[in-house]
Amino acid sequence: MTKTTALIFGHNKYAYEIIKNVKDKYNSIKVYSLDDNDKKEGLYDVELFDLSDEWEDIENNVDIENSIAFCALEDPSENIFLTISLRSSFKNLTIITIASNKENSDKLKMAGATKVIPIVETTSDIIANVLEKPVSNKVLHSILYEESDLKIAQIKIDDTSHFKDEKLKSIDWTRYNGILVLSVMHEDMQSEFIYSNKAKEHVIKSGDILVIVGYEKDIQEFENLIGSKRYVNWSHWSR
Amino acid sequence: MIKSLILDAAYFLNTSKKYQSFKNFFYNILENDKCKYKRYIDIFMILLIFISVGVLIREVKHHVNDYLMFFSNYVISIIFFIEYMLRLWVNSSVSEIIVKRAEHDTFLLREVNLYKAFKEIAKVKLSYMASPKAIIDLLAILPFFHELRLLRIFILFRVFKLFRYAKSLQILSSVLATKKFEFFTLGIFAFVVIFISSVLIYVMEGNRADSPVDTLFEALYWAIVTISTVGYGDIVPVTSEGRFVSIIVIIAGIAVLAFTTSLFVSAFTEKLEEIKEIKTIENIAKLKKFYLICGYENVAREVARKLSKSGHNIIVLDEDTQRVENAKLDGYTTLNYNPGNKESYEKLNIDMKKQLKGVLCLRENDVDNVYAALTIRSLNKDVMILSLLNNDANRNKLEFVGINKIVYPQELVGLITKELVGKPVAFEVIHELRSEDSDVIIDEIGITKRIVENFPTVGDLNNKHYSIVLLGVYKHEKDRFYFNPLDSTLLEAGDYLLVIGYQVYIKEFEKYLHTRVHDD
Repeated sequence: MTKTTALIFGHNKYAYEIIKNVKDKYNSIKVYSLDDNDKKEGLYDVELFDLSDEWEDIENNVDIENSIAFCALEDPSENIFLTISLRSSFKNLTIITIASNKENSDKLKMAGATKVIPIVETTSDIIANVLEKPVSNKVLHSILYEESDLKIAQIKIDDTSHFKDEKLKSIDWTRYNGILVLSVMHEDMQSEFIYSNKAKEHVIKSGDILVIVGYEKDIQEFENLIGSKRYVNWSHWSR
Repeated sequence: MIKSLILDAAYFLNTSKKYQSFKNFFYNILENDKCKYKRYIDIFMILLIFISVGVLIREVKHHVNDYLMFFSNYVISIIFFIEYMLRLWVNSSVSEIIVKRAEHDTFLLREVNLYKAFKEIAKVKLSYMASPKAIIDLLAILPFFHELRLLRIFILFRVFKLFRYAKSLQILSSVLATKKFEFFTLGIFAFVVIFISSVLIYVMEGNRADSPVDTLFEALYWAIVTISTVGYGDIVPVTSEGRFVSIIVIIAGIAVLAFTTSLFVSAFTEKLEEIKEIKTIENIAKLKKFYLICGYENVAREVARKLSKSGHNIIVLDEDTQRVENAKLDGYTTLNYNPGNKESYEKLNIDMKKQLKGVLCLRENDVDNVYAALTIRSLNKDVMILSLLNNDANRNKLEFVGINKIVYPQELVGLITKELVGKPVAFEVIHELRSEDSDVIIDEIGITKRIVENFPTVGDLNNKHYSIVLLGVYKHEKDRFYFNPLDSTLLEAGDYLLVIGYQVYIKEFEKYLHTRVHDD
């Protein structure tokens, strides 16, 4: 299910970049800051919040069920406290949070974050990739960040899909030229690379998700052929 | 007439490129540590020294083969003589001194005074000949006159020549040279004590019939044996006065010994860091390829770990002592140099073009990154520089100094969130492919001429047999990526295959690509 509101906690460069990249995907963006000065300076309408908040204000004004929270406070301890605070009040809220290092990342996971983006790890991964595998890095970057027509998509197999109850290895993938299937995520949320022995023997069930790469036109054709659509569901991320 | 001939010859030699490069060649192999051939010359000379000493030792009780004797006495001496003359030649330039003098006199509208030029040449050459190293070189040639039996002992001077060829011995002498004054004081003190005590013991015991001290030389020998705390006991004072002198000498001996030990220890302690640094720079010079990381903070630490895990050599430069300590503790070759200082790279003494894979400016401060990048760019225009950007407002400054790749963490976080919220599962898959701990990876395989000969098209690759997904072919020349290419797609040398699969399968596949031969 698609969320409608993005709650951005923090008023800094990380928050700006997050807003810039996700603003088209949500009906409304709400930015919260701890600092009163941010209300005057910011590019966005900033609302104040307090770490000791009981979240009543937000609860009354926002449809929490259909919201996603981004915790981007620069102080790691404040970010952790905010995550704990949000999680304790909203059990099902999707919380994406930034972490400066591995230690904070672990703490944030314990605090109940749905997904943690470790900044140092991610940055160093990118740098190492740029140096060691420049070509694949360039290609993956363009696929991931939609700089080319090549896209990565996830397709959910449902009851009406032609693939349902078929063995992965029995499917003639050449019929679906134009797309590559990278991985299958089973209903039990275990992701398997397509060529692993386990995946080959896997019988496709309703609820499985195929991760595919291809051009938009081919992906659409693939959707029509197998009778399933692209799908996003955050519940696939266990906490 | 002769004068003009000399002047012409001097001008000719001074301007002749051939002569200068010839002389330069000999200078490099004899004196320039950066010259790679010098090492071989040094090893050869050390070998000659050991042969000489070996022959000397063998000769004491055994007959030495005549050819070997001839080699030791004549051939080695001649080689050393040639070396001595070459060093004397390359040490200074006679032609340059004459030309300088001629220019000087002509400028002042005087007649060229060659006498002064020759005086200057003699001064320069003699000052070289009087240097300890040159004297040792000369003495090492003397065994040539082996008929004079005493001169044979000069073979041992060849051992002193080791100081020339072995870097560690040079370091030892340079360390001890830092305590020149203290050693001089110690020498004076020891001399005074030995002198007074030997005279005293001679006066006290020289005329006693039961005393073993008969001559002043015996008194001197006793004093030295005692002050060094060796105490053979072959010469022992018999009178009370003599024993009293012994007490004084023994106490002074302990002082001399303690003083000497402390001098050695303190000289080495003070120089230890410098010695380590010299050794580190020497080791760096031996590396074929490495990444230079400027600044060692959080991101740098992780990047260094990842690159080092993949087998790359890492050198860290940082001006902060604490960060240098951290890098050393993490096991990297680290120098406490300022990455923004030209002098650091001069001291580092590396060939940027050949040795550097790339420079990574990873300080969490844009000013320092720009400064370091600018310094490196001023030294080399082509080296690949990657820099961390901490504030987007500074991006154009980083671009201006010619940084090839800029990594801005905030932007990355933004892009990741965009992908995360759109396709979380797909993102996880890609993330997994990039992760260093994952079994399934994305890899790139370079296509060589040999591979093209065996596998002309994509269809020939047979990647499915190896359970490998061929994501596409990257054509380097066209800078274009062909996703999921048709079997008929032609492969060319220089292309890259982007493959996804288990690491072991990819390795097997790569091996297969490189080893297969035509099976017509």
